[in-house]
Parts: sequence; structure tokens; C-alpha cells
Amino acid sequence: MSPKVWAFAGRSLVRQPGRATLGVLGVAAVGALLFDMLLLSRGLLVSFRALLDSAGFDVRVMAADVPLITRPRLAGRTAAVAALRALPEVAEVVPIEFGGATADGTDGRRLEVLLIGADVDSGRRPWILLEGADRDPGGAGPPALIVNRNLAARRRLGPGSEVTLRGDCSRDPVSAPPLRFRVIGVATFPFDDPGSTTAATGTAALRRVCGFDDRDEADLLLVASREGQGAMAVVQAIRARRPDLHPFSNEEVVARFQQIGFSYFRQISTVLSSITLFFAFLLIAVLLTVSVNQRFAEIAALRALGFTRRRVVLDVLAQSVILVGAGGLVSLPLGFALARRLEAILHAMPEIPAAMHFFAFEPRALGIHALLLAVTAVLAALYPMRLVAGLPIAATLRAEVVT
Amino acid sequence: MSAPVVEARAVTKSFPMPAGPVVAVRDLSLSIEKGDFVSICGPSGCGKSTLLHILGCVDTPTDGRLLVDGTDAGTLGDAQRSAIRLSKIGFVFQRFFLLPMLTAAENVELPQAEAGVARGDRRARTAELLDYVGLARRAHHRPSQLSGGEAQRVAIARALANRPRLLLADEPTGELDQATGQQIVGLFERVHADGTTVVVVTHDPAIAGSTPRRLAMRDGRLEDGAR
Amino acid sequence: MTPLIAVLLLAAGTAEAPAILVSRQLLAAEHLAVGDVVALSSDPRGTSPRPFRIAGVYEPVPDPARLGAVALEARLHLPDLVGLTADPADPASAESVESINVKLRDPKDAAAFTRELAARVPGLALRETAKGDPREVTFVVLDRFHLAIATVTVIASSIFLLALMVMLVDERRETVAILRLIGLRRRRIFIQVLAEGLVIALAGAVFGVVLAAALEGGFNRFFQWKYDTALVFVRVTPAIAARAVAVAVPLGIVASVAASWSLLRRGALSLARR
Repeated sequence: MSPKVWAFAGRSLVRQPGRATLGVLGVAAVGALLFDMLLLSRGLLVSFRALLDSAGFDVRVMAADVPLITRPRLAGRTAAVAALRALPEVAEVVPIEFGGATADGTDGRRLEVLLIGADVDSGRRPWILLEGADRDPGGAGPPALIVNRNLAARRRLGPGSEVTLRGDCSRDPVSAPPLRFRVIGVATFPFDDPGSTTAATGTAALRRVCGFDDRDEADLLLVASREGQGAMAVVQAIRARRPDLHPFSNEEVVARFQQIGFSYFRQISTVLSSITLFFAFLLIAVLLTVSVNQRFAEIAALRALGFTRRRVVLDVLAQSVILVGAGGLVSLPLGFALARRLEAILHAMPEIPAAMHFFAFEPRALGIHALLLAVTAVLAALYPMRLVAGLPIAATLRAEVVT
Repeated sequence: MSAPVVEARAVTKSFPMPAGPVVAVRDLSLSIEKGDFVSICGPSGCGKSTLLHILGCVDTPTDGRLLVDGTDAGTLGDAQRSAIRLSKIGFVFQRFFLLPMLTAAENVELPQAEAGVARGDRRARTAELLDYVGLARRAHHRPSQLSGGEAQRVAIARALANRPRLLLADEPTGELDQATGQQIVGLFERVHADGTTVVVVTHDPAIAGSTPRRLAMRDGRLEDGAR
Repeated sequence: MTPLIAVLLLAAGTAEAPAILVSRQLLAAEHLAVGDVVALSSDPRGTSPRPFRIAGVYEPVPDPARLGAVALEARLHLPDLVGLTADPADPASAESVESINVKLRDPKDAAAFTRELAARVPGLALRETAKGDPREVTFVVLDRFHLAIATVTVIASSIFLLALMVMLVDERRETVAILRLIGLRRRRIFIQVLAEGLVIALAGAVFGVVLAAALEGGFNRFFQWKYDTALVFVRVTPAIAARAVAVAVPLGIVASVAASWSLLRRGALSLARR
């Protein structure tokens, strides 16, 4: 379409500024909702993937092929870790155990703490250190503890301070005495929700505080692939070496999450995207159809003056594209603002990690948004375009004079 | 001798209606030569506007042929007919049909832009035409700010924009008072004198009387067998 | 908590096998039938399996938080479950349960009972069922989310409605001009516009409610089929219908008045001019 077509279509729209403004605003409102639904449709997956990747481990090994929350413990931990470390594709293996504890406070209130047992060496960690250190210097003192910001703030802890934890690991009856820990660092744990109080220590200390026996078990093995190998190579190598283990690449975990986790949001985003697009289609189609109906005589006169059928049809299409395009542009800042508001609402859900977002921006969302709106603009213009294309010039001019 | 500007040969135009077809133009032949200034008059419904639409390639005859500069318009597609209307024929309507969102000058520029005339050339041509119709000072006024006579003069300037060989006017004074109508007729005389072939459809005998060639229509036919 | 990971094996018929119920989904997924004897193990490797006889099938309680997950479940009598999951090396494990549900003679005593029990057995986590499930927070949040989405939808609909009314009014500019020219007062025309707006808004709102009610069944059936669940996704209750009408009608009236405002404030002659 030549610039003169766009210019003429723009002038035609400006002719009825109220109507054009409402059209743009209507598209902006539904476009904002559409944009948000596109962000929502993959937001959790994108941020979940980012969370999984953030620690630098690209494979998770479990005891069974079952949902994370109901997984059984992995037996024969020592042998499994040794077998995995021996694989040439593997750079690092960190066994993880989960437990619970309560921290005694000076106010007498107990604070529930999620306790992570992880035997890290010199490489990657399943947390991001903010302050202090995260390698236990060893020695005869109390075991080392890394706390998250919430726990540090609520119990006024920092590197060098000490805290007593009572095991509250519901897996087994509590029989262990409270254990004193020495805080060596403050860290962020990727899967923490905004209110959670989390701490990490070595697996031996976790077992002591939880009162676990010396079962050679782990909840999870975090595995990092060697550079250039890739997660799938590690997964295949583990499956070949230890068929009893169930390794999953981050990709596979995300795929599983996509299958069952929060599918409600994907559904609602699909339903609302369809409704908003239909709404935009209806709005633009009605606006253009009424506008074309009111301009029949004028369009017939233009045809009589030598405008081709293609030219007047393109004029309608250009009007639709301008309305939807302008509305689409306005919808982006609106969509971002709305997404922030909706994110704040949804983040009040329990057990949602603070670093996980329902609305995560991806460039592809912008592309799909533009594509869907463009298709809507074309579809909405089809009927009025058909009206204009089939307009009989002479009959329309005659009818105008008669009326 | 050159070919007629436009020639209708045994043209018939009928419209299908529920009660049976209505014939607006019956077996009519007419030749408009270069330099003609023709008026077609007749009572309402006699088929004069339909004939004008056929001559202007706006409508197609049900039967017969229409030759424009010797070319059979019936063999042309919609785009080619549009091109003929854009470059060879100028149209003036009873209700002006100026685009309300454009100024007088922009309305005159519109067909030139459509024909691909360069911006500088079309600005010069527009200024020349508005001056020609006596509206140079109203160039930047919108149609809603013009009187009926002024609007019709802008419409005439627009019709002349691409230097057509043939100017067709359908009841150009139908919406105007007598004095203003006379001014418009005077403008057509001037356009004709400057070399453009003009065909005016009117039911006003006074206007018809002022043209050198006068045709009368009744029941879809030219009276007295005029060609 | 030790989740039961049931490794299910078809076993030879054993008359004394304890009875279990299996979920409809598990029955279908494993091609089982009532009366079949299956072996369950709490170990993913299937060690120490125990035979159970399928005595019936049940529809699992739908859980909106686990939409899309196939409910492969079985219900066992508590002693059977404990027998299956307990650690032989740990006698205490046969004595542990996840929770104990208590039905009081008088539900009003729940708070006092909770207080007394907490004092007598420190360390017990006690919750009154009347105070609701903490998981309900999720649905409160979803409610807020739906409300926010609905608000945006209402804004978009209002713009659409306004655009329609502007066009409708514009179409009738000449009619209004004629009415004004023959002597009708602005107030009279305003009342007419208002009445029309009310009728359109009422008709639209009622149509919307009827449409929603008509689509309700299809929508629910589709998602129940898609997720193989008994959850109800959409329910058009009288309260919701009344709320929709209560929002739509004033909006319709405001839109019609706003759209006709430009027409009413102009003089009759300027309206008549094309």
C-alpha cells in the first residue's frame, strides 16, 4: 500500500474523531488484555525455566517418575552420586535433602524454617550468596548455616551469629535435640516464596537436627552437565548407566510442569485471548461497516472520478489497520501496567516463589500480539471491504440523488 | 477526421426489477465529437443520467457498444475503465461530493495524486484551477465552509484536474439557486471555450438553451432521432 | 509426610486380600475391573508388594489446584495403609498418621476444644475446619484476579457500547434535527434517548445472561471432558446474573446519554445542516 493510501485512510478516520478515538481506545483495552493473556499463557513456564536454570544445574535426578511433591526418596545416595560423578558428561553432582525446623526467637515465638541439606563443593550452589560465605570452614564449632533474607531479618541473623533450630521433619517423629548452628552467609533461594524462611546446611547437619537415622538417601540429586555436553546427553548417560534412577532435564521438568501445573492459567488465557480478539474484531468490523455505509455515495463518486476498486478497498483495509495498529500500540503500555497489577494480585497465592512470575515478558509475545491484531484487522475489514468492492457506482449515485 | 470522444452505438440499459425489467435507455446511438458542448434534457426518469453514466464508463450498457476514443469500453476491465475515468473524463455531480475532511485545494489535488502527478506539479495545477474557477482565496477552506456555488466550482476544478478530454455534468445546478446556476453555466461555457468537450445533463430548459448542441430524451430515447 | 507411591501389579486372586477403592481414572488407565486383585507397594521398585481386592470405584474429589493431573488414586483402610507403608525397622512408624479428624458433639465447642487440646498436647497442629482450609487463599486470590479481568472487560465493553451509541445517534442526527425544528424540547428528546438507552441496555444485559446460561453447560462439559474432572467451571447463579444486569444497565444508560450529549447541546439548524 502506497503512502497516499495510508494518508487518505488516516484523513478519513480523523473526519470522525470521536468514533476513531473510541475505536482506538476499544482496541487498546482489549489489546492490553490480549497482551496480558499472552504473557500469562507462558509466564509461569518462562519464569519456572529461569528459576531452574538460575542455579546452573541442568538435570534433576529423582527416585521415581512422579510429580515432584509426591516423589519418594532416592536410596543408595552415595553410590548414585559416585556413579554420576564418574560420567564424562557430568561436571557436578549435589545431593539435596529437605527437612523442616523451627527457630527459637528471643520473643519466645517459634519460626518455621524450611531446611535444605546440600553437600556443595567448590562449584555451583542451589542458592545465590548475598553476604558472607557459603562454604563450611569446618572445625569443631557448630555446623554452618546459610539463611535467607527473611530468616536473617526476623531472627536478626548475619554472618557470625548463631541460631538454634529444632527439627520438625514430619517424615519421622522428632526425637533429636535442638541443634545450634553458626550462620556463615545470607543467600537467596530461587524457589522461596515472599514470606518463606529458609536455611541451608550440609546433609549431615540436616540429619542430626531432623533426627534422621543414617539411611543413605537423598530427596534429589542436582546435576550440572559438562560444558558443551548439554542436559540431554547427561540424561541419556544417566539412563544408560543407572536405569533405576529417573533423571530429568530442565526442559523435561518444564514440559511436565506445563502438562499439569497451573494449566488453569493457560486455559483462561486461551479463552480470554479468543474473546478479546473476537471483541476487537466485532468493534472494528462494526465501526468500519457503519462508516462505509454512511459513505457509499462518496465512495461511488470517488469511483466515478477514477479511483479503482482496489484503491477504495485498500482504503478500508488501511483504516482498519490504522485503528487496530494505533490501538495495539496504546495497548502495550496499558498491558504492561495491567500485568503489574494482576501480577501483584496473583502473587498473593501461597507457595509461589518470589522469583516466579505469572506474567513474564518474552519478545515472542510481542510478535504474537502484533500478528493476532493484524489478522483481526484484516478479518474485521473483510465485510466492509466486500461492501465497497461490490458497490455499484451508477446505482449508488442515482440512489443518493433520489433520496 | 479524428474518432469521436465518445460514441454510443445502439445502447440499451435495463434494470431488473421484481415486477419485470425497467428499460432506462433504449437502442440509443449518440456520438460526442471533440469540441462539442452538449446538453441532454428531459423529464425526470427519462434515462438521461443513466445515459451520462454509460458515456462516462461508470455504468455498462445491457446491450450495444460504447466507444471511448475509438476503444470499445465493453472489452475493458474495471481497472482500465477506472483509468479512463481518471485521465480522460471529468465528472461533476449534482451534490458535489467533495470530501468533507479535505480542503478545497486537497479535493482538487486528489485525482491528480491518484494519477501519480508529482507533488509540485499538482500544487501548481491546483492553484491554477482554483484561480480559474475564482476560488484562489478559498483554497484552504473545507467544503462545510463553502457556499453551494463555491462547492460546485471546486467540484468543477476537481473534474478538470487531470486535463480530461470530456467533462460530464449531471444536473450541476440542481442544488443551486438560479443566479448561482447561471454562474456555473458560464463556467462550463468557459471550460468548453478553452477546448474541453462538455456534456451536461439537466432538466432545466434555460440551461439547455445555452448550449450549442441540445438533445432531448424521452422514455429512454433521444427525441427526433438525434445522434 | 510419606506419600504412598503405589506400584500396581496385577496379582493372582487371593480371597483374603483386603478391599480397596480405586479412582475411576486409575481403573480406566490400568484396565482394571471391580473384583480384580492387585498388588500395591509403597516402594517405587515394587518391593514387598501386598495384594488388595478392588471393591469399588470412586470419583476423586476434584482439586482445582491440580487441574490436568490424572487422579491415579486408591483408598485403603487405615490399618492396611499403615501396614503397607510402615518401616519394619521403626516400630513408631506404624503408629504415625498424617492427621486425625475429630467430630465434636457440639460444633460450637471447637474453639474451646482446640485451646484445651493445644495446652494438653503441645506440638500438635490444630485447625478448626470451620475456619476454612488454608488452600482457600488460592481461590480468594483467583477471585480477585477474575474481578480485575472482569473490570477490564467491562471497560472495553463500555467503550464498544459508547462507539455503537455514537454511531446510532449520528445516524439519527437529521431525525433529531427535524424533531427540534418542529418544536420538541431538548428535555423531551433527552427523555426519549434515555428510555431507548434503558431498553437497549436491559435487552443487552438480559441477552448476555441468557447467552451465558446457555453456554454454561457446553463450557462445563468441554472442560470436564478436557481435564477428566467433575469440577464445575462456570456457574451462572441468580446473584451473578443480577450483578451483571446491575452493572450493564447503568453503563448502557450512561453510554447513550454521553453519546447523545453532543447532539442535544447543538442547535436544531446546525444539526440539520449536512
